[in-house]
Amino acid sequence: MSKLELQNVTKAFGGVLAVDGASLAFDEGKVSALIGPNGAGKTTIFNLISGLLCPTEGDVYYDGKKISGFAPWRVSQAGVGRLFQDVRVFDRLTVRDNVSMAFKGQKGESAIMSIIKRWQVSREEKELRGRVEELLESVGLAGREDELAVDLSYGQQKLLALARLLAAEMDVLLLDEPTAGVNPRMVDKILELVRKVVAGGKTVIIIEHNMNVVREHVDVAFFMNEGRVAFSGEPNAVLAAPQVKTAYLRM
Amino acid sequence: MTYALHVLNMISIYAILALSLNLLVGYTGLLSLSHAAFYGIGAYICSLLMMKLSFPFLPAMLLSIVGAVAISFLISLPSLRLRGDYFVLASLGFQIIVFSVLYNCVELTQGPFGISDIPRPSVFGLTLTSAGSYLAFSVVVAAVCGGLLYLIGQSPFGRVLKAIREDEIAAESLGKRVSQFKVIAFAIAAGFAAVAGTVFAGYLRYIDPTSFTLVESIFILSIIIIGGTGNVTGPLTGTALMLLLPEALSFLGIPDNIAPNLRQVIYGVLIILIMRYRPQGLMGEYRYQ
Repeated sequence: MSKLELQNVTKAFGGVLAVDGASLAFDEGKVSALIGPNGAGKTTIFNLISGLLCPTEGDVYYDGKKISGFAPWRVSQAGVGRLFQDVRVFDRLTVRDNVSMAFKGQKGESAIMSIIKRWQVSREEKELRGRVEELLESVGLAGREDELAVDLSYGQQKLLALARLLAAEMDVLLLDEPTAGVNPRMVDKILELVRKVVAGGKTVIIIEHNMNVVREHVDVAFFMNEGRVAFSGEPNAVLAAPQVKTAYLRM
Repeated sequence: MTYALHVLNMISIYAILALSLNLLVGYTGLLSLSHAAFYGIGAYICSLLMMKLSFPFLPAMLLSIVGAVAISFLISLPSLRLRGDYFVLASLGFQIIVFSVLYNCVELTQGPFGISDIPRPSVFGLTLTSAGSYLAFSVVVAAVCGGLLYLIGQSPFGRVLKAIREDEIAAESLGKRVSQFKVIAFAIAAGFAAVAGTVFAGYLRYIDPTSFTLVESIFILSIIIIGGTGNVTGPLTGTALMLLLPEALSFLGIPDNIAPNLRQVIYGVLIILIMRYRPQGLMGEYRYQ
């Protein structure tokens, strides 16, 4: 059974079909990629999985359970996390706070507990500090804990957003163009992190326009065009398909 | 001397109002125009319990908090799904409703005549008869409220509120149930506003709806916009400045018929200048957008 599955999912905006009867299955411990031209419905697929949109038809299943129609917080609590294309770090929070808030099940997130069990919450916060520092070190942001997220470069903000996802211990990571607009050194860092989390058994799904990244780092590619999955399989085979070459690679 | 004590009592009351509104505006990013409504709800529930049911002050205060929190749930559950300007309008609507009820429900609230001869508060067997003893009480209450709000703001709960302020969708995508956090923040702010209302009622021993109007809500909001939001020092600075300013103006010898209008003009100019040159307020860390 696949970790995450979309069955005949359709999303219509008025008369426009952004996703048209798409069926996709993503396996555990693999990197899958959604590729295709702009407007093909890739980000809509992410929005449907993460609960920001509800399918017009069809359903999304996670570990065999239906999650379509869930609010984003429920999808996230189930274990599906997302890196947004526009990053969405919490600008006026410190790097430390950006990561700290992502940990699940914090006692201090109850206003009452934060008062009546203050010492317990303080102890929990001390433990989190250590874990936050480890995570920031693993994404190459050690020593930046007390800076505001807004002061980081775009690439560093992507690394911070990844650290947030790792803190939340998501089982499925949806990464929307993780390498776009990032310098080559940081691209390597991001891909290294992706390999590491996949090796740990997590499922990674990326939307990617860099075909070298798709060839070298992806296990399964789904080519989307006009809201449909037109072709899927091993990345080199997908990229070699005539339909992909003409509709997407302009070859 | 008595006048100075009066000003300090009012500063304590407004400090509670400003610090609690700051939890909504500065931490959660929710611009509310209904804070005076909860201030009034606290004052009226406390006064009515003391006068009609002979409740002692502290139990009446506790029930006022419970009442304000319960009413906040009725309002927040439908309206906190609204975002930005729509929430501002919903809070404005609630403020107008509360004022209308206080003003027109004459049998219960005595409408425009207000409630007079509210019993002197008695705390732990000590009746607060003088302005000095009441000041000690109101300062202690303000300090406790300020301390609690500070702890809440510094806690992981406060951190999530700030994250919601920055980006609701990102916070929700990290598993935080944004609407629930907003409802709780709204309830906490309402509860503390009710505390300020009870202290106000116990201090003046007379309340009427004109103390809890939309203008009052705007005044409390002005305090935190001028002082700054997102921390504790901003609202406290704003409170001291906005309450001491009229007193400072009174020393300029401006005629009584001009002074109140001039005060409004000065508040307006201050807000415009601060929005232009220091949008985060004098001591604040967050700029409302």
